[in-house]
Amino acid sequence: MIKLGISAFYHDSAACVTIDNNVIAATEEERFSGVKHDSTFPKNSIKWCLSKAKIKLKDINEVHWYESPEKKDHRVSTTFAKKPFRTFFLNRKYKKSKKSQNPKDILESMGYTGKIIYHDHHYSHAAFSYYTSNFNNSAILTVDGVGEWETTTISIGNGNSIEQLESINFPNSLGMLYSTVTSFLGFKPNEGEYKVMGLAPYGNPDVYLEKLEKVFNWNNGKYIIDQKYFTWEYSDKIMFNKKLCQLLELPPRLPEDTLTQDHKDLASSLQRLYEQEFLKLVRRAKDLTGSENLCLGGGCAYNGVANALAYKYFKSIHIPFAPSDAGSAIGVCLDRHTKVSPYLGPEYPSLYTKVLVKYYSNKIVGFRLSDDKLIKTVAELLNSQKIIAWYQGRMEFGARALGNRSILASPMNPKMREKLNYVIKKREGFRPFAPSVLEDKAHLFFEIKEPVPYMNQVVKAKVDFLPAATHIDGTCRVQTVTRKQNQRYYDLLDEIGRLTGIPVLLNTSFNLKDQTITQDPKEAIKRFISSDIDFLVIGNYLIKKQNGKNYR
Amino acid sequence: MGKITDSIKEKLEKIKASKEYQKKIKELKKRDPFVYKNF
Repeated sequence: MIKLGISAFYHDSAACVTIDNNVIAATEEERFSGVKHDSTFPKNSIKWCLSKAKIKLKDINEVHWYESPEKKDHRVSTTFAKKPFRTFFLNRKYKKSKKSQNPKDILESMGYTGKIIYHDHHYSHAAFSYYTSNFNNSAILTVDGVGEWETTTISIGNGNSIEQLESINFPNSLGMLYSTVTSFLGFKPNEGEYKVMGLAPYGNPDVYLEKLEKVFNWNNGKYIIDQKYFTWEYSDKIMFNKKLCQLLELPPRLPEDTLTQDHKDLASSLQRLYEQEFLKLVRRAKDLTGSENLCLGGGCAYNGVANALAYKYFKSIHIPFAPSDAGSAIGVCLDRHTKVSPYLGPEYPSLYTKVLVKYYSNKIVGFRLSDDKLIKTVAELLNSQKIIAWYQGRMEFGARALGNRSILASPMNPKMREKLNYVIKKREGFRPFAPSVLEDKAHLFFEIKEPVPYMNQVVKAKVDFLPAATHIDGTCRVQTVTRKQNQRYYDLLDEIGRLTGIPVLLNTSFNLKDQTITQDPKEAIKRFISSDIDFLVIGNYLIKKQNGKNYR
Repeated sequence: MGKITDSIKEKLEKIKASKEYQKKIKELKKRDPFVYKNF
């Protein structure tokens, strides 16, 4: 059975091809278009997935779509009907986009006339999380902005089946509340939530917590959000109204405004509120399922600080590598458990790198090294405080660079964080960097309960000698690495461990300001040339700039 | 007298704040798009 999974038109469009429940290829559209969180129909991704699987569109037995357009339409039309005058123009706009976003029409125009199966949005999240876990029985909690109607679901996974037990519907949405305050703080929703999480430890959570709690009510195990502060039901321009400003006694921040202590306090209070409410949902999931295991899904499962709190009620937690809409393109194709690596994207032959190194020879010089020599040389460079762009094998799927499209540096240098934030990535100084560590040594440096292979839990550091990868509150969004998971990256960490006694590296995604993660070697070289990164490694090629110059 | 002055002062401050909120909201609306897409 050959399946094509697709997610599109909300955030992070993606495609996936599976053959007999094995994921052959999966990628996100933004990797090809260069548009962050690209939500357009993933034509390029589909094309690449088909070519990777060496099949044509006509070979696909079933297309699996990650949500139900009919149910979504019901929610939108019901919502607009509440305020027909206020939503008149918005409704017209929606109807127009609905026409052009019909999956059947688009696929037919591409030549596919076979079966299309539509899944519920939150089922797709749940399936991706549960079927990629090791659990045969698990509670499944999905939290995001909104799907069709659902914004939060609790399900139970047993063997190869998933049964939904409870759900909370739009407009009651914990995810949208987080995004609303993100926009209130002058950050772009669906992107700036990371910034809010990073900003939170700089503030006092008590300052705005009581005020934020006023928008929340619980009734029969479900939360209700007071809509008088929000415009979610009738605006596509803004998410809150004047009443929220009055409640907080604070004007919203424009992106160019200075970040004040008030903003830091609000970020902190929002994060605290999220953790509180998330934990109530986790407890509810425990009560309803009685399971020892928990699978998390939906965009909110990127909140690593909150995720780690779920151990209060569960022994083991699984969070997949792309819990947001992108991962749903994989989730919809799965109908039973399967091992899925996060390295599902494109890779390029080393001959291509050789050609590129020659082509750019007026600006760079490259040396092809043996495996051993490469690992030893790069470890020494990192130990001498050089910043390395590390490009290997197949690209990661999801928001995290997990050692194949990474910028690596020493986490022990206290100045490294500043240099990476301001000079290399040109982003806000308060944003933290994550450490990668050998899984079998992780317990020596971090308070982890289980391996964290996909960087989706924030844990306390046990040591104080990793300042560049430790946040202001002493926490880290850690990635544990095994040789099975990523052999070359493991070997590099191992070599660093041999050199320094500490097998830990600072790992951040290989992209510069406002860019998507680097996809192909040409992009890698161009970005390397225009940045202050010291060395670039592509496969076995160690590349440096001619005369150490940067070309901008 | 003091109480009346304080009360007027408070009201004026609220009106001022309200205007500031509205101004910022209007400005934020111009930024494209400052929402979590849900339609």
